[in-house]
Amino acid sequence: MMRLRLTPAQVFWWIVFILGVLYFFLPLLATFLFSMRSQPLFSAYTDTLTRGDFWSSLGYSFVIGVITIVISVTLVMPTAFWVRLRVPRARPFVEFVTLLPFVIPPVVIVFGLLSIYANKPISLTTVPYGSDLLLVGAYTMLSLPYMYRSIDAGLRAIDINTLTEAAQSMGAGWTRILVQIILPNLRVSILSGAFLTLAIVVGEFTIAAYLARPAFGPFIALIGRNEAYTPAAVSIVSFGLTWLAMGLIAFLGRGSRTRVRVAGAH
Amino acid sequence: MTAPAQTLIQGAPKARPGRRRWATLLGLVPFFLAAFLFMLLPMAFLVAGSFQDVNGNLTTQNYADLSQNFIVDAYITSIRVSLATAVAGGVFGFLLAYAVILGGLPHFLRTALMTFSGVASNFAGIPLALAFIFTLGHVGFLTLFLRDTLGIDIWAHGFNLYSEIGLDFTYMYFQFPLMVLIMAPAIDGLRQDWREASANLGATSGQYWRHIALPILTPTLLGTMILLFGNSFGAQATAYALTAGQVNLVTLVISDQMSGDVLHNVGLGYALAVGMVAIMAVAITLYTILQRRSERWLR
Amino acid sequence: MSIVPVAGFTPDATLLAAAQKEGTLNIIAIPTDWCGYGPMITAFAGATGLKINSITPDAGSGDELTAITSNKTNAGPQAPDVIDVGYSFGAQAVSQGLLQPYKVATWSTIDPKTVDPNGYWYGDYYGVLSFAVNTSVIKDVPTDWKDLLKPEYAHSVALAGDPTASNQAIQSVEASALGNGGTLDNAQAGLDFFKQLQQAGNFVPTVGGQGTLASGETPILITWNYLAQGYADKLAGNPAIKVVIPATGKFGGIYVQGISAYAPHPNAAKLWEEYLYSDAGQLGWLAGYCYPTRYADLVSRSVIPQALSAKLPDVSGAVFASAAQLAAAKTLITGNWKSEVGVSVATAAP
Repeated sequence: MMRLRLTPAQVFWWIVFILGVLYFFLPLLATFLFSMRSQPLFSAYTDTLTRGDFWSSLGYSFVIGVITIVISVTLVMPTAFWVRLRVPRARPFVEFVTLLPFVIPPVVIVFGLLSIYANKPISLTTVPYGSDLLLVGAYTMLSLPYMYRSIDAGLRAIDINTLTEAAQSMGAGWTRILVQIILPNLRVSILSGAFLTLAIVVGEFTIAAYLARPAFGPFIALIGRNEAYTPAAVSIVSFGLTWLAMGLIAFLGRGSRTRVRVAGAH
Repeated sequence: MTAPAQTLIQGAPKARPGRRRWATLLGLVPFFLAAFLFMLLPMAFLVAGSFQDVNGNLTTQNYADLSQNFIVDAYITSIRVSLATAVAGGVFGFLLAYAVILGGLPHFLRTALMTFSGVASNFAGIPLALAFIFTLGHVGFLTLFLRDTLGIDIWAHGFNLYSEIGLDFTYMYFQFPLMVLIMAPAIDGLRQDWREASANLGATSGQYWRHIALPILTPTLLGTMILLFGNSFGAQATAYALTAGQVNLVTLVISDQMSGDVLHNVGLGYALAVGMVAIMAVAITLYTILQRRSERWLR
Repeated sequence: MSIVPVAGFTPDATLLAAAQKEGTLNIIAIPTDWCGYGPMITAFAGATGLKINSITPDAGSGDELTAITSNKTNAGPQAPDVIDVGYSFGAQAVSQGLLQPYKVATWSTIDPKTVDPNGYWYGDYYGVLSFAVNTSVIKDVPTDWKDLLKPEYAHSVALAGDPTASNQAIQSVEASALGNGGTLDNAQAGLDFFKQLQQAGNFVPTVGGQGTLASGETPILITWNYLAQGYADKLAGNPAIKVVIPATGKFGGIYVQGISAYAPHPNAAKLWEEYLYSDAGQLGWLAGYCYPTRYADLVSRSVIPQALSAKLPDVSGAVFASAAQLAAAKTLITGNWKSEVGVSVATAAP
């Protein structure tokens, strides 16, 4: 990439970026400064990092998050691809469904799930990992708006018709097309969707609380009542750890940079 | 670029329509099945509940209640807040994403912004409210810095964090990142060489934007703004923690009915939620129409 | 699991055996910092060998009733066995058929004004509304409701919740009526008071809590005395918190216990109630600065340790609203707060 001298346009973009940085970091800085008021100094942080329930609840939420991401991608990517390729008429319906999670209050989702799956004859909550399954199911739904929009934006940017035709003419089946041709081109989209999903899962409170799951959201709510400075420290630490996790996902997703180009097309 | 590809597609034989149609719909089954099991069924529960009163008897009173002044006001306020944060969040979020992807900034800033956006997109509720209170509250550190070091007292000039505007400003914390993350792949698809090519052909910046960049990006821009609208529309915890219900939002009215200490008419809560679903349906319809129009520009 | 007996609690052997067979107790909406519940839960678990499952500690009274209703036929970790709800919710729960009656061994010594005669619900503890004052920000500590209107308290006073949704906030408004010339029958004076507070610029329209109290954003927080004293203990002088019971208008709030009619572990539930109403349980609440409903009995038998007595606030003369008065005030305040006191929606930007 060429190094350009600083053009007026670039100055503009730098200003935009710096404004963004200010907006995002000042509240975090304020939270950090407040957490430093604890006596003795850093006790809010030592308290956070030595609490068993901080690590166990964060770990639980991360694991649930990863499982949800995998299921969500597996569900959404082929669907979004299929809608674009073959069934454009179904688009408004699919999009409506993916936007529903916004308007159904989480309280309703969890009560609905409990009344159907926790009741006899299914009684899912009495089975080991039954409640966890319900949690993953609910979170997969919550991830839909972001995962679908993200993947759809990515699909729009590549010419799937041409890619598919070319692959089919070379004898590839659907699975191969999806996994070896479409998927690599959606790296950025899937990563975006994955980031958003992980953040949702780690931050979610209502569903985890009502399903009595030991997740991070209920932990934060609990600690917010009992302490003053520690919750601020928890915010900073969990922000940092989740950011690290995102960085890890980004790094893992880096892989090969090959972008499939159709022969003959420029 | 796509011209030879187009002829390739048009040249391919069409499959038999009748039989293929069912098979193509099959591809959507997993999605709709999952949605049915984990969302539509619970939603049926919601609709059924909206027709029940406190003791479980059937009634349409809940829907009649929706015409009460404070509920209508709640819907209007929610829509207003969601529109404001969707548009403002959309515009600045887009600019931010463009800045790190095609604005000529160092590449590592892009990764930093993307990963940060992932986290920030869900920083909400009490921690977010507290973060803004600690920053811009009466004794917030930025408030005090501006007052004591620069002599500007923002509160004395009319700034009020505990208001609808304050809430909009706070909501941006999860709206900007959402826009950034979803627009990123779309901006990525906007090739750098098109910019250079258009410059070589003598187009100004404005022409580049008007004839190339915006037409390509508009469908995704609009779609993501609907997402931002929905995201804001469904938010509740931040509004409660920051303004203690002073800003009258539908989600707060719902939580008052369903899980507060006081009002407890669960059926009304369900009816309100059905109202929200209806509004989202209207928003999506509008978006679909707009999107069809804008996609024609691409042809 | 080894049993660690607790002084002042001798469980009935048959009930204990039945409860241990069930093995678990599901409690709901019980924060560990509320009325000393944290140590009480640990003590109970140690004394009985039961596992305690704490559901949604942050929930409100309405949530508790909803949890019973929506889990009527679910046996799972999210169905509560016992509830601890605001006074007016006891009768509501009975009318919805959510409770089963039970009279603990010490029933006769519970303050009769606080219980349902049929044993469906029974008062457990009460406190009074107080001001938690951050003395590093507020030098001149207010002593009564009327003081809060003074200009020196500009943007200092906050409620601990939304007055259209939170029990505590609504009762705070009701309490302020008493200090403003009103009565328990008419909470309008409370709305008028907050309107004055708002117009004087003294009211901060956000949810106040330990964080905002400590940061100085809401240096005068109107909350239950037991929560305020809890904050003072927790912050331990960083900053120093003074708990003030207003001179006029000491408003008492009672919470009530009940056993769910659909409790998955009814014997564990009954054992828990026996513990709460034993001397050990009652003293446990007292240690959390809550007055238990067997207080008069405890005093008459001189079982309260002097050290504990010394820390209790003076609540003599506290008034308790009847269920009817609470309901009327609730309707008035939740209905009129937004129109009379609420900040206008689109506040002018500079």
